[in-house]
Amino acid sequence: MSIAEKIKVLIVDDQVTSRLLLSDALTQLGFKQITSAGDGEQGMKIMAEQPHHLVISDFNMPKMDGIGFLQAVRANPNTKKAAFIILTAQGDRALVQKAAQLGANNVLAKPFTIEKMKAAIEAVFGALK
Amino acid sequence: MNDAAAVRRVHIIQGEFKVLNDPNAVLSTILGSCVAACLRDPVAGIGGMNHFLLPGSGGSMTSGGDATRYGVHLMELLINGLLKQGARRDRLEAKIFGGAKTIASFSNVGEQNAAFAMQFLKDEGIPVVGSSTGGEHGRKLEFWPVSGRARQYPLTGAETQRTVAMEERPVRTPPKSVESSIEFF
Repeated sequence: MSIAEKIKVLIVDDQVTSRLLLSDALTQLGFKQITSAGDGEQGMKIMAEQPHHLVISDFNMPKMDGIGFLQAVRANPNTKKAAFIILTAQGDRALVQKAAQLGANNVLAKPFTIEKMKAAIEAVFGALK
Repeated sequence: MNDAAAVRRVHIIQGEFKVLNDPNAVLSTILGSCVAACLRDPVAGIGGMNHFLLPGSGGSMTSGGDATRYGVHLMELLINGLLKQGARRDRLEAKIFGGAKTIASFSNVGEQNAAFAMQFLKDEGIPVVGSSTGGEHGRKLEFWPVSGRARQYPLTGAETQRTVAMEERPVRTPPKSVESSIEFF
């Protein structure tokens, strides 16, 4: 079993299409355990029930945005150790710095290539194969 | 064109998007095989337009290609821009224009671009309340972001050639955002 197969990933994005693309990219990278949510609130519910190893979350979302979600994940003792990669559609240095301060493990700019996504995940987990 | 005096014209080129809530503003663009998505929240009175050309086949959502991701990115920027100004996602409605098979483009890239936009909106649950895509002529498009009124003029002959020539300029690679490469911290 490869490392990718063992990692449980939670995708959080308000756009259905973005979730499809993320899940497609992760599948191509060998991930098998992928769950998705439409906003931070829903994501936190899933994390509270079943903590995932890796969270890939968008910034801009209704209800609870990426920053709020990151804070919630880090505040919960059961989920605080999850790796958190935040996605950004518009380069906003202030938000990226805030995410870093709040404990995000990495940032990935949209539109991303599969290679960039792989590099972003490997920077956290090491080589996937 | 005296009535144009009070009108604020905002022109958009390929790869751009603009969101406005000014009832006197009109968004305009010139389309060949490119596609423009016009999105609006009729309750909040906010609308916007983007203009994109996806190289190759952007039609398939599951292909996961870079072109598809670029297209999704441009749609997301427009939607985020609308939401930031107070629009609500569940109230958004769309009009789609462009995607012509102009003389110079032998491929059906225009058709694929239009199909991409339609599929995206369907997947996102945003109703398409009007569209004019395909055909053999380019279009000059005007969209009033507050009223949602859209008007298009077919471009024939020399005008089409000029439009196509503009679109045939080096394809813009996805825009580099501030943190274009991955940051490690």
